[in-house]
Amino acid sequence: MSAPDATVIPAQEPRSLDPRDWVPTGTWFKIAAPIATPLIILLIIPFFGIDVPAVITRSVPFILAALAVALPARAGLINVGGEGQIFIGAVFGAAFVKVVGDGLPLIAMLPMVLIAGTIGGALWVGIAAFLKAYFNVNETIATLLLNYVALYVLSYMVNGALKDPESYGFAIGAMLPESALLPQLGISTLSIGIVLAVLMTIAVWLLLDRSRWGFRAKVVGGNPEAARRGGFAVNRTIVTALLMGGAIAGFAGVVELAGTELQLRAQMATGFGYIGFLCAFLVAQRAAWIPAGAMLLAAISVYGDSLQLDFGLPAATVYIVMAAIVLFVLAMRGTKTKGA
Amino acid sequence: MLEAIILGAVSYGACLIFAAEGELIAERSGIVNLGTEGSILCGALLSFMVTVWTGSPYIGAIFGLVGGALPALLHAFMVVDRKADQLASGLAITFLGLGVTAALGKSFVDDKINGMDALGIPLLKEIPLIGGALFDQDILTYLALLIGPAIWWFFKRTRVGLILRATGESGDVVYAYGHSPRKVRYLAVTAGGALAGLGGAQLVLATTLNWTENITQGRGFVAVALVIFASWLPLRAAAGALLFGAAFALNLVLQTRGVGIPSFYLLMLPYVLTLIVLAAASKGQRQLMPAGLKAVFAPGGT
Repeated sequence: MSAPDATVIPAQEPRSLDPRDWVPTGTWFKIAAPIATPLIILLIIPFFGIDVPAVITRSVPFILAALAVALPARAGLINVGGEGQIFIGAVFGAAFVKVVGDGLPLIAMLPMVLIAGTIGGALWVGIAAFLKAYFNVNETIATLLLNYVALYVLSYMVNGALKDPESYGFAIGAMLPESALLPQLGISTLSIGIVLAVLMTIAVWLLLDRSRWGFRAKVVGGNPEAARRGGFAVNRTIVTALLMGGAIAGFAGVVELAGTELQLRAQMATGFGYIGFLCAFLVAQRAAWIPAGAMLLAAISVYGDSLQLDFGLPAATVYIVMAAIVLFVLAMRGTKTKGA
Repeated sequence: MLEAIILGAVSYGACLIFAAEGELIAERSGIVNLGTEGSILCGALLSFMVTVWTGSPYIGAIFGLVGGALPALLHAFMVVDRKADQLASGLAITFLGLGVTAALGKSFVDDKINGMDALGIPLLKEIPLIGGALFDQDILTYLALLIGPAIWWFFKRTRVGLILRATGESGDVVYAYGHSPRKVRYLAVTAGGALAGLGGAQLVLATTLNWTENITQGRGFVAVALVIFASWLPLRAAAGALLFGAAFALNLVLQTRGVGIPSFYLLMLPYVLTLIVLAAASKGQRQLMPAGLKAVFAPGGT
């Protein structure tokens, strides 16, 4: 850098309203901040009387559901179908257990259950990807509508094929066998779900920001026409990005089933997909920051549960706080993130 | 059975017509509003509350307009002035509406209201098959049937409609002609939200006659889909809404007749039908989409 010219006084940049411009920008800060922020949130919340292990457990589906939005978003795709993909992931996991039964050891059973759920999520978003690739149907609206269909698939399964025969008329699935459950971490009530979610975050971050595919997706998302002329397989990138997003959401569903719910329920994971969507936009779809956003929303969600118990407020009341935070951040940030 | 389905198509489709036409106005000005779901919810609850307090569904319906306009005004502020992402802002506003109406509406769940009276048109309502559906309805449902043609006329034949459509195509041109794209978009989004709120009012004052949490069940999102399906044309949007209403009515008719199809399949039907129709209508849609739908105008450069 040359020395500043004494005669030219650079114009004062107006103070940015983007919170990201207020923070330091060094390399170390870029790495440390996304890791430190969720930990700081966890340190603060006990002062509000919020249960830390419950928040960590709740953050697992939020992290995964947000990643399911952030990954396709890099290719310019808006996946609002996390909600439905989570349901279908859980249904596939439970169906796999029902078919295979309880005979395999955990080391073989659990990975297969998780993979079954992941495939379920990918297949479900695959409907939207197919409609997008062959019929040019807007994926935002297709994934949204599929959420409602998925909800009915889940309640149909819980009332029918996957209903526990010993549930005395209750519409719930059978308890998963021990071999299909996520092992406990040994710390409080935590399962290895949070470890899986953190690993998935790192994987998505590497894919988006450090891989050739991530670059390609960025070009396709930025300007599909330029990408097409540059010889990129645009349609294939779009379909792959959507499928991977759905797969992560399906994984979220089956992890929630095997780690927290332990049996299929019609009301399980309600709203988690939408909260993941809000989380992804809260952190401008940057994978590294998703655990921080998810931890904040999980803290609000768990706090909301206690409000519900103590004051009889409807569960949806927490959406007010979540939406207000997201709207505030969106309003401060402006159009620096790419729209649909 | 056919008569019941036609009647149901109009009764259930009316809310969707309002919501879809409202969404269409906003999108024609260049702004997608996924907060329509929130607008319907707020319009429905406010109109229900006012009806409980005053006893008059007509005063309630007017407040439905207000309830729907408020979330849309917030969306306009977020998108036009704060340049927020349209989809994220809209979805967040839908969530805000869901939360606010769940909390405020809790004490109204057990309230009953007297809905709007049907105002039958003599002679016409005796027409077989369609008489009951078209000429023996309440005032909001009549309005729903008229709103599609009215908006078609507004776009086609009025100066304001032309400016609104031009804003959606190119904010710069409208700006060059001395109009404010910002003002047009504010008005279009807010008016669209007000219409969605009126749809919510129709839902509770003419159809359900009670309030439950999340009473809309995704109708706002279906409305957004209908606008795409209709290629941003008001008459087609109204027709699509009636088709969706018919799917909903078919589901109820078949259920009451005890047809041996599990109700889950029937409940899925409207959503699956919308998806199929979207795929079928996808040909040649690109040209009809307002060019400025994805770009938000800022005076003096991008």
